[in-house]
Amino acid sequence: MATQLLMAKDPAEAIGSKTASAAFIAGGTEVNRLGSDIAAKADTLISLKKCSGLADIRKEDGCLTIGSMCTFQQLIESDDVPAYLKEAAHFMASRTKRNMATIGGNIAAARSDSYLIPALHAAGAVLNICCKEGECASVAIADYLDEQDKYTDALIVSVSVPTDIVLVSKRYANTAQSHAVLTASAALRDGGLHMAGAVKNVGILHFCDLEKAFMDDPDISEDAIVKMVRECTGLHTSDDMFGSDDYKRYLIGVTVYDLHRQLRGKEV
Amino acid sequence: MSKQYKVVHCTINGKEVEQIVDVRASLTDMLRNDFRLTSVKKGCEVGECGACTVIIDGEGFNSCIYLAVWAEGKEIWTLEGLTGPGGELSDIQQAFIDEGAIQCGFCTPGFIMTSWEIVNSGKEYSDDELRKLLSGHLCRCTGYENIFRAVKKTMLRHLGKFEEAEKVNSQGIADYPEPMPFM
Repeated sequence: MATQLLMAKDPAEAIGSKTASAAFIAGGTEVNRLGSDIAAKADTLISLKKCSGLADIRKEDGCLTIGSMCTFQQLIESDDVPAYLKEAAHFMASRTKRNMATIGGNIAAARSDSYLIPALHAAGAVLNICCKEGECASVAIADYLDEQDKYTDALIVSVSVPTDIVLVSKRYANTAQSHAVLTASAALRDGGLHMAGAVKNVGILHFCDLEKAFMDDPDISEDAIVKMVRECTGLHTSDDMFGSDDYKRYLIGVTVYDLHRQLRGKEV
Repeated sequence: MSKQYKVVHCTINGKEVEQIVDVRASLTDMLRNDFRLTSVKKGCEVGECGACTVIIDGEGFNSCIYLAVWAEGKEIWTLEGLTGPGGELSDIQQAFIDEGAIQCGFCTPGFIMTSWEIVNSGKEYSDDELRKLLSGHLCRCTGYENIFRAVKKTMLRHLGKFEEAEKVNSQGIADYPEPMPFM
């Protein structure tokens, strides 16, 4: 259990202090929760709260760079943040919590009911990451999530997102405050369709087979999509308190179908 | 395993204070245990119920997931700070009483702190916006309508719209029928 806390003054100090038994703490909504695994496993927490230069939002040719310590509420209140990301930030219903939760923290926590990751994944967001060796790199969020073990000692400094794309999202939960069983997003960018989702207790999923099915036949039926998801062997859903395996597969199917229809309606 | 302590300097309810805290302590723990500000309730401790809400530098936060050491240099307000020097209730507290927005009272301090921020913002929010602004709080007793009405009436009064505030009272929010009198 964490008993030590380091208040890093800047990203370099935070990265320099990171050891295998230390964990970064950003807004605190994940690490400070009662029963948090992160706080239980770490012996030292490195607070990024007072780190300088991590909460800026900058516009650069069709792309927006958002500091990792920007809170959900800052995203909502900023005039520069695209509507799709504001919508995803609104998925966290509590404003008091939105005042704390950060974009970087939400990505690093990579929860299976993540609020922002499906939208960022579909948008093709790029993470600007600094490692202990002093190297900085830009990594696509999809690659970061695929190889997260590689980045355990790295710090997400900022997130770059496109502003000129069409992206739609849906979230299903019992109440606005409850954890979502499914959050899914679909985007049209770079001449293609991109779909991603967060399925509770399963993880973050890139729906590449479904993207291909929609690209091959834009008029594919809802039944055919649901059948594809039901028969998908690579999807490891199971029965739990959030719903049965069959329910989750059905929900994914009808949701991505709806998202695709919405996107087609928004195509110019 | 040794614990680490730090000194925190902040302003609580208008008074500058200094306190030594365990670095892992939450602001809820500091306010309740060290300053006896027991209006700050320990509810879910995961930032979902809003019972621990306090105002930090003008914005509402869940103090249960906010480290006490992060309060260094901050201005914090709890429910105890809203009352006048003689213990007079603030208008938002009185509105909660007048509208019957309190039953068991556990969620009330958190609701009032968020409401205080809303009514002092100088903005007129729509009904939808008000509901969204209050959505970080859970109440298992009142069904929310009375709370909503107390906040809306106080917001309108702060904006000088006294007549409109009274209409909220007589017309109700959503045309609910008058309750039957007790027999």
